[in-house]
Amino acid sequence: MTRSEDDSTTTNDGDEASGSPGSVDELIPNTGGSNDDGSTAAVRSDGGTVDTDSPFETTSTVTETRGDRVDRFLEEYLRTPWSILRDDWRALAGFAILSFYVLVGTVGVYLVEPTYPAHGPKLLGAFADWQFPLGTTSSGRDVLAMAVHSTPSILVMMTSGALFTIIVGTAFGVVSGYKGGLVDTALSTITDVFINIPGLPLVIVLATLLEDWINNPVTLGVLLAVAAWAGLARAIRSQVLTIRNESFVESARAMDLSTRWILSKEVLPHLMPYVVVNMVNAARSIIFAAVALYFLGVLPFSDANWGVMLNNAYNSGALYRPAAYHWLLVPMIAISGIAVGLILLAQSLDRVFNPRIRARHQDLGGDDEPIDADADADDSTKEMMNV
Amino acid sequence: MTISESAATDRPSDDVIVELRDTSVEFGMERGQSRVLNEVTTEVYRDEILGVIGESGSGKSMFASAMLDAVPEPGVTTGEVIYHPEEGEPISVTDLSKDELRQFRWEEVSMVFQGAMSSFNPVLPIKTHFVETLSAHDYDIGRGLARAQELLSDLYLDPERMLNSYPHELSGGMKQRVLIALSLVLEPDLLVMDEPTAALDLLMQRSIVSLLEEIKEKHDLTIVFITHDLPLVADLADRLAVLYAFEFAEIGPSNRILEEPAHPYTRALLNATPNLSAPLEEMRPIAGESPDPVNIPEGCSYHPRCPLADEECETIDPGPYDAGPDHDVHCHHWEQSIEDLDIAFEETSDTGKTPSAVDKASGDPLVSLSDVEVTFGSANEGWLDFGESQTVTAVDGVSLDIYDNDVVVLVGESGCGKTTLAKTAVGLQTPTAGTIEYRGRDIWEGASGSTLADKEIRRALQIVHQDPGSALNSHHRVRTILEQPLKRWHPDLDGNDRRERILGMLEYVGISPPEDYIDRYPHQLSGGEQQRIALIRSMLVNPDLILADEAVSALDVSLRVGMMDLMIELQDVFDTSFLFISHDLSNARYIAEKTGGRIGVMYLGELVEVGSAKRIIEDPQHPYTKALRWATPELDAEQIGDSEESPMRSIDIPDPTDPPSGCRYHTRCPEAREVCATQTPGFVDLGDETHAQKSACFRAYDDHEYWQSASITDEHADSGVDTGGDTDSGVTSESD
Repeated sequence: MTRSEDDSTTTNDGDEASGSPGSVDELIPNTGGSNDDGSTAAVRSDGGTVDTDSPFETTSTVTETRGDRVDRFLEEYLRTPWSILRDDWRALAGFAILSFYVLVGTVGVYLVEPTYPAHGPKLLGAFADWQFPLGTTSSGRDVLAMAVHSTPSILVMMTSGALFTIIVGTAFGVVSGYKGGLVDTALSTITDVFINIPGLPLVIVLATLLEDWINNPVTLGVLLAVAAWAGLARAIRSQVLTIRNESFVESARAMDLSTRWILSKEVLPHLMPYVVVNMVNAARSIIFAAVALYFLGVLPFSDANWGVMLNNAYNSGALYRPAAYHWLLVPMIAISGIAVGLILLAQSLDRVFNPRIRARHQDLGGDDEPIDADADADDSTKEMMNV
Repeated sequence: MTISESAATDRPSDDVIVELRDTSVEFGMERGQSRVLNEVTTEVYRDEILGVIGESGSGKSMFASAMLDAVPEPGVTTGEVIYHPEEGEPISVTDLSKDELRQFRWEEVSMVFQGAMSSFNPVLPIKTHFVETLSAHDYDIGRGLARAQELLSDLYLDPERMLNSYPHELSGGMKQRVLIALSLVLEPDLLVMDEPTAALDLLMQRSIVSLLEEIKEKHDLTIVFITHDLPLVADLADRLAVLYAFEFAEIGPSNRILEEPAHPYTRALLNATPNLSAPLEEMRPIAGESPDPVNIPEGCSYHPRCPLADEECETIDPGPYDAGPDHDVHCHHWEQSIEDLDIAFEETSDTGKTPSAVDKASGDPLVSLSDVEVTFGSANEGWLDFGESQTVTAVDGVSLDIYDNDVVVLVGESGCGKTTLAKTAVGLQTPTAGTIEYRGRDIWEGASGSTLADKEIRRALQIVHQDPGSALNSHHRVRTILEQPLKRWHPDLDGNDRRERILGMLEYVGISPPEDYIDRYPHQLSGGEQQRIALIRSMLVNPDLILADEAVSALDVSLRVGMMDLMIELQDVFDTSFLFISHDLSNARYIAEKTGGRIGVMYLGELVEVGSAKRIIEDPQHPYTKALRWATPELDAEQIGDSEESPMRSIDIPDPTDPPSGCRYHTRCPEAREVCATQTPGFVDLGDETHAQKSACFRAYDDHEYWQSASITDEHADSGVDTGGDTDSGVTSESD
């Protein structure tokens, strides 16, 4: 819509006729800057006009373009978070570690050839032969190749499991906490049922039933998360119960904003640090669970992966045979590494959702920085002073 | 009062109990040193009550902490704090070791903080708190407890009941009084009270303040009373000290400060404080905001806001000038200030606005409440439900009409149901019984759950909350906060239109430059700015009625009048009605009188009196309104001093889960007679043609059996003692 000149002018006239002088400026204490324009409509640099007579009817002369909206979106969701994370070593380290795993999982599989029994000599030690940098197993398979080729499926499994946990958990928690009443009772009952299902037996039973799909990492990830989301849902529900009584939620209800908006934009941002930390923890625990189950032999496997490697190494007596240590250590280091990366990322992502830190990093021109610092420090001073 | 006037003239120097020499408190901040107390030099005299007044963030809590060397880490206290005991050598408080400080703190100087709720350990009975304090200081427990009992009964509390109660069994006012007793049990000479009544109701505040005077006389105390509420201490304190920007602006005898304030800030503060007697034209806000502790202005710290400021003020820090006996002022122009200030103010602000005294009680009501009842909690529903039935009737049969362009202010103590009633009126609370009609339509018709079915009605009724900090979502920028109502109700506007409109509104309410503010987060705004954003947000949907729930009580005193003026202005411009809630009769009077609105007084879920501001303030009919009127402190120096007896028989509110029979006020009413306990009075119309005034009291009838009924007050004439916890204070006066 272009400038709705006719609209605004007609209504302006009406208002002026009814005599509503802009005398409010005289009454309000001047907070800092100068209030110069009193009667005339000032034309702004960006083309809009500001009528002090009826700010209700102001419209812009410039139509919002698609580019504007995209730009605002990028600012909100990409540039600001990046600028926050850039300053935090934990974020950088976490990202570096995880990117390394992703690289291995995508590019690495093309660079390292798959291995097969009797590929090389038996139980070659690590760094002994550059054809097999991390050594070989007792059946002569390349340890590096096995570790590399199991990465993609582990990553996919981890991501799908973590996403399933937080999406289902947050949805159940937020909706039941906010809606209350019958909805709450129904959703909470479902949540309680899942909390009380013993996870391991369920996975064993399902793994047997779903044998055809279990080799798909997505199915496996979701299966491992089946029992994990309920705890998150409970915790989030209890937090939503307090947030729903906050004044700003009541205001939003009074203005008849949609429930979807209230849940996703008013309530959820307050939970995001918690949700993100839980997502990363879920990812970690899914890897641990998968590896443990592979090690125990509960899950059927067709291909090598870190858990299976551990199992094989253990069965070959790697715990007490120094010659086989590398076979055990490589998957252990791979698992610990990704866990450390996830933890570092979780710690740093907390900052992205803090409005105080966001404000300091947003790209709003030069004079913003000192203002932010003021307001920020002012608050902490007040806290310290107990006022 | 009289003591100070005679003693003020030539006070011997050995009468000083605490003196501060160039005392500063600093906090290291990321962006520099934050000075929250700036080279303060002052003295506190023995046996006086010193009232320290300052707005929030003026350093008044730091002043209290510095006196006890109790500044929290990482704050650093510099300068000297010297305590003069009655006998022996002066003690330099800042040089004391940790152990000595511990002794010093409760035995010589003790402190009462605000928020008595958190001062007690909830799992220990009150008695243990006393015993622990006594044994920590090696006092004789038996003698100490005897003293504690004496102190408790001095504070109109039943000692036995109090000592055996747990903190949660006591109401806020009781806890605060127990805390005062606890702080006095080691017989200190100096009592420092930091906002001791800030969390309490008006009536309770007033009652505690009048108790303090008795306690002080009986126990030979020196009291330093720190508060933001100037009228509250005005008639209690012998001397007043006004803190501004971390240093004293003025210090002197209270009647001099009130009558002839020498510092421009004191004068402005007096004018900015709403009260019951001053003409409305004299009330005006102070422009600008308090300075930041990191960048205290050069020279006189008040010069950016001062109408008298000149070059001298900008460069030279004014030392204390002697403005009369015992009256020091930190202003270069104090002599001129007394003469010229009012003229200067006339020039800078123009509040000559005539109230629109239209008779609003005509035509069809905009919102009409009839017999509204709201009950919380659940009744005992039989098996498996072993607890007692716990229902609280927050609003009990209230009828009220609000008209177009009307202003209604609800006043009452906390827990009287004023917020519940108001939220019911704007459709944010479902009534248990009764109807609410918007222009003749039942607003709950066809509603599911707690949302109104008719979206137009939903739009017409809006709310502005008490705490601006939580009214705005801390995760959204100002733009997002204000865009939402526009997106919902003006879907034809695109992003740039919305932006322009928001900028226009921001500028309209005096937030400038608006471009700078539109992308800020709420934490980057001051309290006053946040409250304005919240006000704009509800205005943007074009409502017919706005509920302002204590919308100014979270703001600094100096900003309140400005905020109320803005609301009144917006009401005029945008043709809305306002339903204000206030616990403070002086704020209520300001708004109602300026707009020609009405004041409604609520007590325990019932509306007891409704009338125009003038009638309610000048000629209250209901005894409860009279009590509220008594509890509202006056600034007028002439009226100070003759503080009459409390017009209530009991300080504490009866338990709302078991309200008294008949007239609910009869347990506290000084005029109560037997009939009051059995019959419920209805509304009596006392109004002449122009201003309707209604009161729910039998005394309004000329001819009623009340006048023949026997008084029930005599037998309990001195039954101010509270017998116990909330659970049965409903029968307080009977269980003497």
